[in-house]
Amino acid sequence: MKKKVGIIACSGEKLVGGTLSRAAARIVVEKLRPNNTIILCQPLFMAGGLERHGGQQERDFAKNHPTITIEGCEEECAKIAVDKYSGKPATTIYIQEIAEMYPELKPKSREDLGEDGMKLAEIIAEEIAKKVDELFQSK
Amino acid sequence: MSEKKVYIIPCSGIGKVFGSIGRKTAYIVVNELAKDKTTLECLPLIVKGKKEVIEALKENKVIALDGCPLKCSYNDLMKAVGKVDTHFLTTDIVKENRDLKPEPSIIPVGENTKQLSIKLAEKVAAEVDKLLKENMERDD
Repeated sequence: MKKKVGIIACSGEKLVGGTLSRAAARIVVEKLRPNNTIILCQPLFMAGGLERHGGQQERDFAKNHPTITIEGCEEECAKIAVDKYSGKPATTIYIQEIAEMYPELKPKSREDLGEDGMKLAEIIAEEIAKKVDELFQSK
Repeated sequence: MSEKKVYIIPCSGIGKVFGSIGRKTAYIVVNELAKDKTTLECLPLIVKGKKEVIEALKENKVIALDGCPLKCSYNDLMKAVGKVDTHFLTTDIVKENRDLKPEPSIIPVGENTKQLSIKLAEKVAAEVDKLLKENMERDD
């Protein structure tokens, strides 16, 4: 059985970058590479070992599978979490870097990306999907 | 006296619609129902331990909104900040409104999900007023 790639979006609510990271992650997992990817929930990942089963399963998955982190800002919250608990992520995608390549696409707000924002999320998702393919080819 | 705000921290879950209800609720509270009384912060940044954010949370009231019984927002806040003043589970508002079954779609969310978020936001906004009143009474 082929291994899956774990997608961990920062998902931060305060910035539009967090919203883009979340939308792009969903597009990859639902539409572009549904058979090769799985979403790992960042806050659950950090809550490992707490009551019930916490995020230990997420951490163990990331230890044994390649991961792609998606960062909505320069804080690199997802990458730092994976580094800390499961080892180095295979790739990190920076939303800002891709957004700067498409200045004509301006997301409406953090609450509602709007048409432009969703187009940008689709482009980011395509970039993530390319990285997923590269990881599968390198195995 | 510095002006106190209530921090609204949703769980950031993106796997199921219950996390989306928490996020949507937070936006309604912060942008509409309790606009000048509340603020948002990113849970991942709190978990990361950003010092100035942790300090601000310690000095203000905090409401955690969770989308499932794993309570990531509550647990992560307890670990990073050491307190949560009020905690809501979005699944409770779903149980209270059986006629509004949330649609599974996360992006975009469905109409029932929006309605549930408005109902929960009204409860959260009422709690914001209660917490700020407690602050004022303590300062007096």
